[in-house]
Amino acid sequence: MHIHERNPWRTLIAVSVFVVILVIGFLTMPKPLFEYEKSMDESIEALLNGEDYFYPWELEDVIANKPDSIVLFDIRDNFVFGQGHIPGAENLSASTLADPDNLERLTALRDMGVSIVLYGENELQANGPWMFFRQVGFNNIKLLLGGYEYYKANEDDLYSTIDDDAYFSGFPRFNYAEMAAPKDGSELNADQDNKPVQVRRREKTSVAAGGC
Amino acid sequence: MNRNYILLTVLMLVLAVGTLFLTTDDEPKQIAPEELLQQIIQPTRYVTTDQVAKMIIQGDPSLLMVDVRSADEYDEYALPGSVNIPLEELLNEGNMGYFGVPGVKVVFISNDDIRADQTWVLTKRLGVDGTYVMKGGLNCWMQTIIEPSQPDADAPSVDHALYAFRKGAQIYFTGAESATTDDGNVEVQVRRREKTNVAAGGC
Repeated sequence: MHIHERNPWRTLIAVSVFVVILVIGFLTMPKPLFEYEKSMDESIEALLNGEDYFYPWELEDVIANKPDSIVLFDIRDNFVFGQGHIPGAENLSASTLADPDNLERLTALRDMGVSIVLYGENELQANGPWMFFRQVGFNNIKLLLGGYEYYKANEDDLYSTIDDDAYFSGFPRFNYAEMAAPKDGSELNADQDNKPVQVRRREKTSVAAGGC
Repeated sequence: MNRNYILLTVLMLVLAVGTLFLTTDDEPKQIAPEELLQQIIQPTRYVTTDQVAKMIIQGDPSLLMVDVRSADEYDEYALPGSVNIPLEELLNEGNMGYFGVPGVKVVFISNDDIRADQTWVLTKRLGVDGTYVMKGGLNCWMQTIIEPSQPDADAPSVDHALYAFRKGAQIYFTGAESATTDDGNVEVQVRRREKTNVAAGGC
């Protein structure tokens, strides 16, 4: 006869304690600050579609009317921000993005349905933070094309930049092949198609690869 | 049967069902979002066109240039030795094998630097280290390496030294009055990913 068959309550108590510990464990599991809400595929698709940009000419209205539905955040550091920024923008340095206070603010704005526009010195500076927030579920965050540099250069007449394309990224500004053509007239890329580019790839090391 | 055993059996079944909910994540392995944000806000991922040019000219075997523009653009012009992985094909079978090779620096290249930076963020999310972004992209490449502008006569001497380097690089890359442009920079040693699904060797 087993010991717990002599005292059935002992098993019951042990099981109850076990279950209680499991439940407490699950309830107190630390919740991560962020979670990915866009998969890799969705993120790539959003980038290819060129979604969620804010155009410089749209700033005209934001600066003039200060609508409640749009907030500008300047992710450059505090010192540079102090030297000049887009009127009405708030400073939110990149290094403080994950601070609890700032996150609370961003979450509150999201819940209120307010659009957030991020900008840095140029588009590149704000690109990373913008992509990050899009991937963790802040779908109200947009990226100012051209960044502060483009705004500064065109601040007198922002609306006319609606016809400009200088702030669009991803386009060649030169005819590369022509510019880089050999000066002696020979064809630079002629043999490139045939020449195999050989690269090292990562080796799979998950399986023990025999040997002595 | 003893009541206690039934109780235990039921508990085990409940826990077994519980484990099903733990593994709903079918995404590939990726780093925690907090870590990604920390990596993103550091500007250490940028390399200049001059640094890339220098590595190509010196035949640095640790350099792997990945051109993230479309295949058409790549066919028209690309840096010597670069491989083409357009953003939409990033997750395709085998492409991730290019990244994370120990000792290899992967430099992403696009027309400017935005698309390259986007690719950098995506690969970083998958936990890949040793990737860089060529700042300014090919537009900057044309302005600095292919057609460098001469600094003023009273510019600091470092500017003149940089200009001298760029003029040399220009000759190297445009093939003007130089016969040695084609060697050295493409012949990278092959080491393809080996399939080792079957236990190999053994004495």
